[in-house]
Amino acid sequence: MHIAVCLCQVPDTSSVISFVEGVQDLSRVNEVMNPFDEYALEEAVRLKERFEGSSSQVTLFSVASPSAREMLRKALAMGGDRALLLCTTEVLDPFQTSLILSRAIRDFYGEALPDLVFCGKHSTDFQSAQVPLMLAELLGMESVSAIIKLEASEESIQVEREIEGGIESLEVHYPALFSVEKGLNVPRKTTIKSVMEARKKPIDLLPVTISESPSITVTSIKPLVRAKKCRFVSDARELVRLLSHEHALF
Amino acid sequence: MNTFLVFLEQREGVVKEASIEAWNLVQEFVALRPDTCVSALLAGPADILQLDGCLAGKGVVYHTNEEAFRLCNPQHYTRLIAETMKRVGATTLFFADTALSRDLAPRLSVRLHASLLSGCTFDQAWWDGGGCQRPVYSGAAMAISVPRHSLKIYTILPHAASSATIISGASITFELLEPLSFTSQELFPLVRRMTMRKGVPDVAEAAIIVAGGRGMGSAEGFALLEELARLLGGAVGASRPVVDEGWRPHAEQIGQTGKTVAPALYLACAISGTPQHLAAIGSAGTIVAINRDLHAPIFDVADYGIVGDVHLVLPKLIEELQEFLKKR
Repeated sequence: MHIAVCLCQVPDTSSVISFVEGVQDLSRVNEVMNPFDEYALEEAVRLKERFEGSSSQVTLFSVASPSAREMLRKALAMGGDRALLLCTTEVLDPFQTSLILSRAIRDFYGEALPDLVFCGKHSTDFQSAQVPLMLAELLGMESVSAIIKLEASEESIQVEREIEGGIESLEVHYPALFSVEKGLNVPRKTTIKSVMEARKKPIDLLPVTISESPSITVTSIKPLVRAKKCRFVSDARELVRLLSHEHALF
Repeated sequence: MNTFLVFLEQREGVVKEASIEAWNLVQEFVALRPDTCVSALLAGPADILQLDGCLAGKGVVYHTNEEAFRLCNPQHYTRLIAETMKRVGATTLFFADTALSRDLAPRLSVRLHASLLSGCTFDQAWWDGGGCQRPVYSGAAMAISVPRHSLKIYTILPHAASSATIISGASITFELLEPLSFTSQELFPLVRRMTMRKGVPDVAEAAIIVAGGRGMGSAEGFALLEELARLLGGAVGASRPVVDEGWRPHAEQIGQTGKTVAPALYLACAISGTPQHLAAIGSAGTIVAINRDLHAPIFDVADYGIVGDVHLVLPKLIEELQEFLKKR
């Protein structure tokens, strides 16, 4: 089974996003693997282990700056077999990123396409959740977003996703792309042995050319100011009165 | 003439409040622009009478009763929406930001070569030039994105309203669409089943959310919040540590790795307020915080605060509410 996993880097949650004279300063940010991508990678590795065969491979694709090598090393230690780092330092929109990924996947697998592609539900920095489904459309693959359960057989895959107020169960055929929600699995920890083994696995650096102009442009990023004046109330009765009378909330 | 298309999402034949809100927001915008008209698309068997008095302004609702659209099969929906966009000559497509639109909109944007802006609110940035303003980097910053293509798709973050208003003076017509035929390749992914939880609103849609943090102490501690939510007709929400502890399911998680919510009332109990959590409730109406620590960041975003132990404050609040609701 051939499985592709798309990974991206995001600022780690404890990083400080600072602004110098109103301009965003990411120099002090520590980048890590997008948390949702860890679930995606874990699911891919589990499937590879289940459908073990000499040709079963998990290949990692990342559109990022060369500094993403370290993140890819970790992903290889988690069970990836090889990694392709599609190098660019430019800021790309989701469509451009999807386009680069789709071309790299087609170049790598040829017309056959991988059996499965896994992505995280969204990146935790911009949270637009667009790349996985754009990529599915560009690859002409069936897809389901934000899955919380997956059962694969030789012929088809049964998945579940959360919808508002319930759960949807879907049947999907190969080849297919899934974006993965928290809760699908518990990603494994790397061990000294797996880290050592990962050093021998290949990371190919491929420069990318961006042929398409972006579909959306970020025109401003400003520090978020939350200025609310909290009115402290002394007891529950006062609170109920305020919420019901002044805000008509119930 | 510009044409906007609003997608009306139904589940079990009931049109989503969030979709109706999207239509009404678009109508508000269009009212000042006589060169723009609005149409809607309603896919799947649904009683159109339920929309009486809900939709403002004027326009045509295209409806298909076809069985194939009863469940939200992504391939079927994508094709139907793409074809309806072409048919009505729409330049802009609006969705409510839901699990369905997060699945369909990116596909459609590639297929139609449209700019996609997800999770928008109708704020100044939108009125000024179709921009979408939303928190990024776990709520540390606010970004404005603008579309570059002439075709645009927006998904709109719903604001749960506390009560539905009846709209009069609207002029809405309904038109039934011809059935589409699908090839077997277009059949998958196929929704086999939809299992709905009955009786309680979902945290993503509830007008009132009663959320608890680690300070609730245990899974059992949430019984107080469940009772409060039941009294208010709201949903229970949880912070990340609570879900990580296994006290509540991930479906209830609010925050960076959970849901972004915009209820009319958000009651944060024993939640200190990490930047990730605050970003996810940034569009809530009224925020009430109950916390032992006067310096907890949650109070910086709250409208009302009670400093105290939730285990003492909540029983009193429940009692007061019961009394209040009995009198009414």
